[in-house]
Amino acid sequence: MEINDRNIKVWSTIGSRATMGMAALQLAAEIDNLMVLTCDVSTSAGLDRYRKTYPEKYLDLGIAEQNMIGVAAGLASEGYNVITTTFSPFQTMRCCEQIKVNLGYMKQKVCMVGIASGLALGALGFTHCCIEDIGVLRSIPGLTVISPADSLETVKALEAATKFNGPSYIRLTGSSNNPIVYKKDYEFKIGKSITILDGDEITIFCNGATVYHCMEAAKILSAKNISCKVVNMHTIKPIDKLAIDEACKSSLIVTVEEHNIIGGLGSAVAEYKSSIKNSPKQVMLGIQDIYTKGGSYNYLLEKNRITPLKIAEDILLNRT
Amino acid sequence: MNENIIKRINNFSLNSRKNILEMAYLAGSSSSHLGGALSIVEIISTLFTTQININKKKPNWIDKDRFILSKGHACLAYYAALSEVGFISKEELKTFEKDDSNLLGHPVLNKKLGIEFSNGSLGMGLSLGIGVAISLKKKKKNFNVYVVMGDGECNEGSVWEAAMAAPNFRLDNLYAIIDKNNFQQTGSNKEIMNVENLKDKWQSFGWHTSEIDGHNSEELYEYFEKSKEIKKPKALIANTIKGKGFSFSENNNNWHHAVLTKSLYEKAISEISKK
Amino acid sequence: MHKTEDYKKLFIESLSIDKKVFSEKIQYNEVPEWDSIGHMTLVSAIEEKYEINFETDDIVDFSSYKKGIEILKKYKINLQ
Repeated sequence: MEINDRNIKVWSTIGSRATMGMAALQLAAEIDNLMVLTCDVSTSAGLDRYRKTYPEKYLDLGIAEQNMIGVAAGLASEGYNVITTTFSPFQTMRCCEQIKVNLGYMKQKVCMVGIASGLALGALGFTHCCIEDIGVLRSIPGLTVISPADSLETVKALEAATKFNGPSYIRLTGSSNNPIVYKKDYEFKIGKSITILDGDEITIFCNGATVYHCMEAAKILSAKNISCKVVNMHTIKPIDKLAIDEACKSSLIVTVEEHNIIGGLGSAVAEYKSSIKNSPKQVMLGIQDIYTKGGSYNYLLEKNRITPLKIAEDILLNRT
Repeated sequence: MNENIIKRINNFSLNSRKNILEMAYLAGSSSSHLGGALSIVEIISTLFTTQININKKKPNWIDKDRFILSKGHACLAYYAALSEVGFISKEELKTFEKDDSNLLGHPVLNKKLGIEFSNGSLGMGLSLGIGVAISLKKKKKNFNVYVVMGDGECNEGSVWEAAMAAPNFRLDNLYAIIDKNNFQQTGSNKEIMNVENLKDKWQSFGWHTSEIDGHNSEELYEYFEKSKEIKKPKALIANTIKGKGFSFSENNNNWHHAVLTKSLYEKAISEISKK
Repeated sequence: MHKTEDYKKLFIESLSIDKKVFSEKIQYNEVPEWDSIGHMTLVSAIEEKYEINFETDDIVDFSSYKKGIEILKKYKINLQ
C-alpha cells in the first residue's frame, strides 16, 4: 500500500478497523492465495469493499467463531494465507480452545485480527469490550501477539503478519479519528519495539491506542523537567527483551495498556524483568482488574485512568 | 375474555414502541440496535402481560417465571417492557447508553431494575436457561423459563449444545423463542449463513416445536396458554419482521444498528400516533 | 466565497472517482466508492476544508451531492 501523507490522514480518520479492511483489499491484489474469513462482521471490519471485489478470497462463517477458526486452520493446512477477523472478545475467547489446538499446538499459520478491542465499545457493555485478550492468548505457546499503535501501524502489522511464518493475533484498539503516532513510513519488525520519544529518567512501555496518550503524558512530565522515554512495545509476544534490559538503566519503568493489568503488557514486562537483578520498580497502569460500568470510549478511558493527564498524574505519584 | 387480554397486549406493544423510539433517539450518535428490538415487541408484550408473573415490589422474589434475553442487543424492547411493568422509570430509560448508565447497549444484571442476567455475547442464553430450569425443577417450583433468541444467533454452536441438552433433562419448563426476522448483522440469513428449516432442526433435537406469526398477539397468547400442558422443552419459531412498526425500518437491515435522526424520529412519532 | 468547484473536488479526491465519470447526481451507496468508508473520508475532508464540525444527524442525512449542498447552508457555507 502506498504510504503517503494523504493515506495516513485518511486511515486516521476512518480508524484502525476500516484501515484493516482497506489493507486487506490491497493485500488480496498482491497475495494470490489470500483468504479472509469473518463472522457476520464485514461492515464492522471495513471489509465491505473487499467482499465485493474478491468474493473468491472471502468467506463469511456467520456468527460462529469456533467454526471459523477450524475452517481457517483447514485452509491454512492446504497452503492458503489466512486472515480471520471479528470483534476481539469473540475472536479470542469464544474460540480459545480452537486457537490453542489449531494455531498453537498444530501451528497452522493464521493471522487473527481482533477488532474494537479494549474499551472502544463501552456503550454496549463489557460483553463487547475486551480487556483480557492479550492475557489469554499469551499463554498459548507459539502465538505471536501484536497491538498496533495507530492506523498506519495496523497496515504495517497486517503486512508483516501475512509474510510471517507462524500464527498471530493483531489487536486493534482506538476508534475513528484515531490519533496519528507515525507521520511518515518507518520500519516495522515483529518483535522489535520502537522508541517513539527519548528520555532518561523513566521508561514508559505501551502499545495500541495508549501510545499516543503516553506521548502526550511524556510532554506533560517534560514540562515538569521529568524526562520520559516512550517505547511502543507493539509486539507483546515475543517481548523485546533487549528493550527491557535497556529500560533497566532508568529509575522507573511504567507499563500502560488498555487491557487488564493482569496478563497483558505489564505482566509480560514484569515476567522478564523479574529475572534482572537490581532492576527498577515497575508501575503497571491500565485497567485495574475490574469491569466498570459502561459508557463512551472517552469516558471509560478517563474512568480507567488511561488518558495523558491521568497517566502523568499516576507516574508522578509513583515516582519515588 | 380474550379480547380484553389481546387489547392489553396490544397497548403494551404500542407503549413499548414509543419508549423504544425515545431511547433510540436519545442515544444519539451511540446508535442503537433498533431493528432487532422492534421485531420482538409483541413476543415480550405477550410474555410480560400474560405469562411472566414478575412483581416490581419484590425484585429478588424467587417464586416467579424467568426471562432471558439471549439476543441481548434487542435490549431496547426489554427495557421498554420493564418500564411498562414498573421496574424502570421513564427517567432511567433516558439514560440508555449514557456514561455510567444501568441501561447499556446489552443488558447488565441489575435485579432492582428487573434485569436478571447479563447478555450480549450471542449463543449463551439458552444454556443459562437450562441451568435455571433444572434449578426450578430441583426446588420443585412450578415456574417457566423463557429464552428469547435470534435466528442469526442459531449460527452459534453453543446454541445446539443447549438444544441437545434440554430434552435430555426433560425440561418442560423451558421455552426457546426464536425471533425469526430473517436477518443478521451484515445481511439476510440467506446471504450470510442460512438457518433454513429451523422448525425441523429444533424438532429433530427433541423439542416440541411450533411456528407462528410473531406479531400476532392473539396467536402468541393462545400458544403460550395451550403449550403449558406439553411435557417437553418448547421451541417457538416466531416469524417476525426486523424493524416492525415503522415504515422506514421494516425489513431494512440498515436498522440492525443505526442512528435515529431527529427527522426520522419525528416521522416515527407521527406514524405511531395514528395507531 | 465558497466555490462549488472546490466542493466537487472534495468528492472526486476523497472518493477517488475519475473526474471524467463524476456526476452531480451521485448518492451514498449508489456508487461503490461512496460506501461507509468513503463516507467517513468525505465527511472528514469537508469538515477540514470548511472548518466545521458536522452534527451526527447531518452526517447520517448527508446522502447525496445535492443534499450536502443543502446541509452546508446550515453551517453558513453557501456554494456558488
